[in-house]
Amino acid sequence: MSEYFGVRVEDLFKTMPDRFRPEGAEGIDASFGYDIAGEGKWKLTVKDRKMKVQKTPDLSGCVTVTATDGETFVGINLGKVDAMKAFSSGKFKVEGDFGALAKTGKMFRKYVPPKKEFTTKEYILDMFGTLEKRFQPARAEGLEAFIGYDIAGEDGGKWTAVIQGGKCVVKEGLRENLSVKLQAQAADWVALMLGKIDALSLLSAGKAAIAGDAKLALKLGEIFSPYVPPGEKAAEQELIVLRKTISVNQRFATGPVMGKFLKALKEKKILANQCPQCGRLQLPPREVCAACRVRATGWKEVGPNGHLMVMDVVYYASPDPLTGETRETPYGSIHVLLDGCKGHETFWHLLRRDQIFQVKEAWGEERGTRLRPVWAEHRTGSIHDIQYFEIDG
Amino acid sequence: MPEDINRSDCFTVDGKLALPYTYFAGKVGSKFITTLRDQKKILGVKCKTCNKVFVPPRQSCALCMEDIRENWVELKNEGEVSNYTVVRYDDKHLPRKAPFILAMIKLGGADTSMAHILEGIRPEEVKIGLKVKPVFARETTNTILDIDHFEPL
Repeated sequence: MSEYFGVRVEDLFKTMPDRFRPEGAEGIDASFGYDIAGEGKWKLTVKDRKMKVQKTPDLSGCVTVTATDGETFVGINLGKVDAMKAFSSGKFKVEGDFGALAKTGKMFRKYVPPKKEFTTKEYILDMFGTLEKRFQPARAEGLEAFIGYDIAGEDGGKWTAVIQGGKCVVKEGLRENLSVKLQAQAADWVALMLGKIDALSLLSAGKAAIAGDAKLALKLGEIFSPYVPPGEKAAEQELIVLRKTISVNQRFATGPVMGKFLKALKEKKILANQCPQCGRLQLPPREVCAACRVRATGWKEVGPNGHLMVMDVVYYASPDPLTGETRETPYGSIHVLLDGCKGHETFWHLLRRDQIFQVKEAWGEERGTRLRPVWAEHRTGSIHDIQYFEIDG
Repeated sequence: MPEDINRSDCFTVDGKLALPYTYFAGKVGSKFITTLRDQKKILGVKCKTCNKVFVPPRQSCALCMEDIRENWVELKNEGEVSNYTVVRYDDKHLPRKAPFILAMIKLGGADTSMAHILEGIRPEEVKIGLKVKPVFARETTNTILDIDHFEPL
């Protein structure tokens, strides 16, 4: 009866009735044999969503007989040994109908070894034995302190944590000139460290006392990471990640000015609007002159050809606000000075993708490459009625 | 708007914005959700400096800026409506058909309110101060909707 990973083979079989999931045994009517070298033989019988397991030398009538050693058997059950590896290396053998055995996979809940209870004395020794390791220098910057622990009772003891120069050394006994002294009964201290009782309840019940720097005492939970009993890993946290696609209905209302501009694109016309006060053209048009802040009422057809002025080569496309689609990258985001426009009265659009490295930009009085629009065949009154601009000539 | 504007050129364009994204709840948010989901308990975090309890939980105290992420407290599975609104339009992103009640609910032990759906009462009967309790979802989705809704006690 050896233990493997702290668990006996027998433990696994004995707990089978508790771990049995009737819904996982649906439709299974068979006996399964287990021959564990040096440990014995067990027979598991399943029928009508019920099960029976017994230790028996007779494995006749089983659809499968699993033969392995104790370490492999326990290891696979605890998830510490890889079943496929054990199988391919011959440490884990199955005779009979392998498919039938595979069906038993959902029949039992995983075996969870019972926690071994430490005695109070063992806890106390482990808690102070691990105190130095649990010290968090980053959270105790510049701290110099002598922290005394006076743990009463026959399981107790006295310790001093000396925190100096970013290090913590735990010594037995209480030093003089303690910054703070904590007093409690050993059992209460263990309960506190295991999170079964909180410090305030202990203090208010008079079961614990703080002498000296109480503020420092309150900070101990930060200065030292929480005590984790041996064999228990600080549980790994499940982190929630959701992958979604937001789908939002959009409605863009053109208004009269943008509406007129977009409708003209259907007719392969590019319209700028004009400020009655300063004569500026706006392209695309806007309701009000951005400079004079008066209603821009005039209209003028421009282009459709023009000169490239400035281009950005875009490698990271932002989504189209109406569809969420992104353009293929890289693409050229261009400002074209259409015929009939001047100065900064440029028009934004795209450049044919295979030409983005063949064009010349220009500033001020200079003019870049001559461009012409490529119109979409089916035009709907959208900025995409122009597919893109391309080199003219 | 001036009277002489010609609206004959106005039209509308309908679109549907589809944006794929990945939402990470963070360590604090994940614990909140997994505890809701597995233990049917609503957790808040308490600031050790000002003693305020926040729910939904947050990493730092809104008032003191203290790091409060480790200081979990379990809240009562009952609370009261601290404010509410009635949603009277339908849209596909909304969790219920209109009309339904979205309430700010202050749980026992919390200092902040959390928004959730209130069912089991007619909109015209809701009052601030109404005592409510959570009804947990049978099918969980790893979201705040693992509380399906709140209902009057």
